[in-house]
Amino acid sequence: MPVWLREFRWRQTPAAVYLSLPLHGVRVTSANIFCTDQYLKVSVPPFLFEAILYAPIDDTNSTAKIGNGIIFFTLYKKEVAMWDSLTLSNANKEKLQYLRENAVLKAHEKAKEETEAKKVTKQEHKKYALEATMKLEEAERKRIEDLKEKERQKVTEELELWRKEQKDTEKQKRVQKEEELHQEVEQLKEKKKEKMNKAGIPNEGTSKTRLKPTKGCCGSYSMFSENLKEEQLPAPRSAATIKIDFTPRVFPTALRESRVAEEEEWLRKQAEARRTINADLSELEDLKEEEKNPDWLKDKGNKMFATGNYLAAVNAYNLAVRLNNKLPLLYLNRAACHLKLRNLHKAIEDSSKALELLTPPVPDNENARVKAYVRRGTAFCQLELYTEGLQDYEAALKINPKNKTIEKDAEKIRHLIQGTTQDS
Amino acid sequence: MSSAGLERPQVVAHVQQALNYTLFDCKWVPRSARLLCLGSAARGTGVLQLHELRGGRLVLLSEIEKAKPIKCGTFGATSLQQRYLATGDFGGNLNIWNLEAPEIPVYSVKGHKEIINSIDGVGGLGIGEGAPEIVTGSRDGTVKVWDPRQKDTPVANMEPIQGESKRDCWTVAFGNAYNQEERVVCAGYDNGDIKLFDLKTMSLRWETNIKNGVCSVEFDRKDVNMNKLVATSLEGKFHVFDMRTQHPTKGFASVSEKAQKSTIWQVRHLPQNRDIFMTSGGAGSLHLWKYEYPAQRSKKDSEGAEMGVAGSVSLLQNVTLSTQPISSLDWSPDKKGLCVCGAFDQTVRVLIVTKLNKV
Repeated sequence: MPVWLREFRWRQTPAAVYLSLPLHGVRVTSANIFCTDQYLKVSVPPFLFEAILYAPIDDTNSTAKIGNGIIFFTLYKKEVAMWDSLTLSNANKEKLQYLRENAVLKAHEKAKEETEAKKVTKQEHKKYALEATMKLEEAERKRIEDLKEKERQKVTEELELWRKEQKDTEKQKRVQKEEELHQEVEQLKEKKKEKMNKAGIPNEGTSKTRLKPTKGCCGSYSMFSENLKEEQLPAPRSAATIKIDFTPRVFPTALRESRVAEEEEWLRKQAEARRTINADLSELEDLKEEEKNPDWLKDKGNKMFATGNYLAAVNAYNLAVRLNNKLPLLYLNRAACHLKLRNLHKAIEDSSKALELLTPPVPDNENARVKAYVRRGTAFCQLELYTEGLQDYEAALKINPKNKTIEKDAEKIRHLIQGTTQDS
Repeated sequence: MSSAGLERPQVVAHVQQALNYTLFDCKWVPRSARLLCLGSAARGTGVLQLHELRGGRLVLLSEIEKAKPIKCGTFGATSLQQRYLATGDFGGNLNIWNLEAPEIPVYSVKGHKEIINSIDGVGGLGIGEGAPEIVTGSRDGTVKVWDPRQKDTPVANMEPIQGESKRDCWTVAFGNAYNQEERVVCAGYDNGDIKLFDLKTMSLRWETNIKNGVCSVEFDRKDVNMNKLVATSLEGKFHVFDMRTQHPTKGFASVSEKAQKSTIWQVRHLPQNRDIFMTSGGAGSLHLWKYEYPAQRSKKDSEGAEMGVAGSVSLLQNVTLSTQPISSLDWSPDKKGLCVCGAFDQTVRVLIVTKLNKV
């Protein structure tokens, strides 16, 4: 329950009301004072003072001075009149309530208006600031453009001058040349005239023909001088050929196109693989020297495969693998043997192992990979696992799309699959 | 932009002209304000256009159409009075034209089996001494040197050994032509090979490989004892070789710089200052560089053999003019700072580089 403050003093002039409200022991801030044009409230918990004013006041201009223990209100009346009392006397509860709410609403509206006005002014300020900066930047840019333009114009003028000079010098040269030629003609004419005069009349008839050769001579005179100049140049070089060769490249693609990193890795792997020797010396002491060489064993295996002796080939490859289990070709060839021997599961195993070793995929090991895929595909098909087989064939085709046999076989498998699905 | 930035040389675009054909090469006509544009029209014929720079515009003086598209041209091997243009075209033909009577070439030979990618001339224009010669490099892997006075056969032929797979030759340049006998030809190939052929001894003097295809090579001066060679390549790198000291095994010292991500199509040295050169790039940009010599140009290595020391390269300015590669660049030999560049967006631009005196 708030404590109502009732001790207040007031006095009035026709234009204003002066109200002093004592408040002891509490600190009052502007937040505690609420005033609209007909309602005044001071609420400092637990104290409360409210007054419904006799007549409307101008609440924007009215002030409240908060001093030590007292608030001094200066309320400017809207209408110049003398009030009978500070508050409306016949105020029943409902009216009070209504007035209070009204007051609050009014205050709200006012606050809203104020914020909106503030916003508007803020926007305007911002806009102004932006325009100002834009202007500054424009000015700067223009200054630089002007400098550039000036340079350009200066250079253009210089260019024009230079061009005119060129034209003039060319003209001069041409005129000079003509003059020289003219002079030469004159000179020769003079000489011929003298000769003719000496020779007498009979040469008149031939004079015309003579004049022509002089002109020709004149022409050849200038040609002659040019020939002299040419003589000063050395004769054309005697023809010769220089043979060249180009820097070899392991992979003939441009640097940016080559997958150098992968290719280097592949080469490294190959080199390493050749070097590994998993020698199990105790068992292999009986073997001859050459039989310990995986490459030799591989060749042996190939030869036996060619003659049809598949079991022996498999033995050879097995031994080779024991010596060096990193050579993909061994697995590849053994897979072929197993295929022929119809050890299909083993064939699949070996082709898979070979494919594993044939990473990273580079153009170098294309052929090997194609073979591995084809062999594994064949094994799958013979086991009637047609879908896996088709997958491998398609992989092989992707590497080498130009191989017709692979294409045909892939087609056959597809038909088979479609046939079986239709049946079932 | 700081004022220090404005003190550097600026590249100002003076004139821009749109053309209706693909432009492969553009060259200034010496001793004049005229420039020549060489290219290929849409219907597959060659186009030669002569423009003059007048006021702030390029005025078309004449247009000549030829059977095959023209890839490259040079004035390097003609005298100043004649100013004949030597061109290489897509069919492997080398022709020399008199621009005042361009119907019939002054000299013509089917020099190569495939397109002539690059051409250079030496001995003309009052620069250097010795016979005028033209060198052409072609996609058939051969580099041939021609003398306009000798018909049909080249005076020097650098070709692959029989059976060797060939690599395209992308660029050629003359150098070291400081007296009547000495001359070298430098050729760059698409696998990154750079080969230096000595024409006096008719032998291969030096070769190296810079890993990426060589788009353009140029000596800083053709008519002096060879001083510097700049070679540009794909993937934005270029190398500057110091050619004064050749080490028996290590060859020439070099410094390399990666300018940008795209191919550097051309390098051209400023005729008036051989330490400044401009590179043009695949992203339509131009970079202006200055080479600084080291304190000592050569030093002795552990065995006492002389080896060169490469200096350093600094970027003076760069500017982006186009979105398409700038494939050709030429400085005017008469006006310092004036240059023309042609790009694959079918525009030819005349540029002025300012403040080169203060560099």
